[in-house]
Amino acid sequence: MPDLKTLPAGLKDFALNDKAALIIGAEHPVGRVAAITLAEAGAKVLIASQNAGTEDALKEVARAIEAGGSKASIQVQRAVLRADLSATVDLAVSKLGGLDILVTALDSPFYGPAESADDSAFDRVFEDNFKTAWMAFQEAGRVMLQRGGGVIVNINSVLAERGVPNATLYCSAKGAVRNLVRALSLEWARRGIRLNMLECGWIAEKDSVALEPGDFSDKLLKYLPYRRLLKPEEIAGALLYLVSPAAGFVTGESIAVDGGLLCRV
Amino acid sequence: MILDSFKLDGKVALITGAGRGLGRAMAVRFANCGADIVAAARTVSQLEETAELVHQIGRKCSVVATDVGKSDQCNALVAAAMKEFGRVDVMINNAGIGEDSFGKPIEKITDEEWHRGIDVNLSSQFYCARAVIPHMVAAKRGKIINVASGYGLRGGKHNYMYACSKGAVLQLTRSLALTYAEHNIQTNCIVPGIFPHNEAMMKFFKGGKFIPIGRPGQDEDVGPLAVFLASEASNHINGELIIIDGGGLAGGVTPTGVAPGNPA
Repeated sequence: MPDLKTLPAGLKDFALNDKAALIIGAEHPVGRVAAITLAEAGAKVLIASQNAGTEDALKEVARAIEAGGSKASIQVQRAVLRADLSATVDLAVSKLGGLDILVTALDSPFYGPAESADDSAFDRVFEDNFKTAWMAFQEAGRVMLQRGGGVIVNINSVLAERGVPNATLYCSAKGAVRNLVRALSLEWARRGIRLNMLECGWIAEKDSVALEPGDFSDKLLKYLPYRRLLKPEEIAGALLYLVSPAAGFVTGESIAVDGGLLCRV
Repeated sequence: MILDSFKLDGKVALITGAGRGLGRAMAVRFANCGADIVAAARTVSQLEETAELVHQIGRKCSVVATDVGKSDQCNALVAAAMKEFGRVDVMINNAGIGEDSFGKPIEKITDEEWHRGIDVNLSSQFYCARAVIPHMVAAKRGKIINVASGYGLRGGKHNYMYACSKGAVLQLTRSLALTYAEHNIQTNCIVPGIFPHNEAMMKFFKGGKFIPIGRPGQDEDVGPLAVFLASEASNHINGELIIIDGGGLAGGVTPTGVAPGNPA
């Protein structure tokens, strides 16, 4: 935990000492970075996943957090269900003694022609990307409203802002979350909850379409202002800014971590 | 350690409009994060007050009287910073005028007022970027932070020069960002909402009661955002506009506090 006595005066309100933070989607590379970042900045964390079979990934994240001198609790369940999300939030409150911060790092892509996407693809993409976020905001929000406030950050994609062919469902679900963050931030603005978003550029992570050798990745790399993919750890600073008291006047906003990609389009 | 990446130890930040308001608040916050300051504005007495605050924190602050609407003075400002410190790590284009022109009908605005506003709010940011970029390219790193306004993204009744100049600042930010990304220079833009600096402005904005979060901005709110954008913590953020307005631009389709479906 940061030592507030030795931290420069100008950085004290970036620290999260003793805050209680729930990270859903910590098995994803950016969720992992989020969990480690918040723990490093002083928060008590519960790391959770919406996907079964992610225990090993979460345990690895917990070990990384413990190696940094903090502690993490773990929760895995099919969190798209209302009861499970509610249970995850309750567990965070009981294990951490409250809930000050919620980070959702949800990612469930679908790439392919629109005419070939069946209804099950629609349900999966909207459940995993949008419905989970909606329900997590609701469940965490109930607790935060009762306790007098909190901070929520959704980790999203630059595709929340722009379209891409062959990613129609994904762009739609991501964009829906963007506008959910706008509307809900207004609803809760005077009730002490800030709600913001991060938009990641193309990330260098396992199974990313940007890493598959071929025409797309070749041309994409030349197109990116930094000529390289985003490393998951490069979201850490923006996330910490948004969840910390230092961003007390920022709500309903989204910060793109994309090297300037969105300026081009 | 994540918090270390926000430190500004030993960095030199050149801040225009540093004699008061947001500029002074950023100077003080930067000093509190370990930076030395070059403070620029027209009024030396105000700059000296800022310098005194920075000195009290134990950091250096040099004062350069500058009319940023004049390109030769912007060149001289950057030259003075280079002479004093040998580097400019962070350039904050913050100087701006014209908030007192809100509400003035178009036929009452003179050519001089229009040009002076565009010079100070927009051209100054171009002049200072042009002067500082060769030094940042040589250093293979740099951070440029432009300060715009929510009026750069929305219109306002009887609001011409201010909205136009601030809107153009967003575009200047994007083009600088794309051009100098390969030189490891990040250019970003802070977009403040309502930050009243005097009684008249507070009255004009009705105390900020319409702002979703329920209060107007205070100068100190902007400091941490500027620190983040000046620090290593934001190295992959470029060409981005970050709105700090208590939620104002997230909505705007209905007046604040008025919503469909509210129980009567």
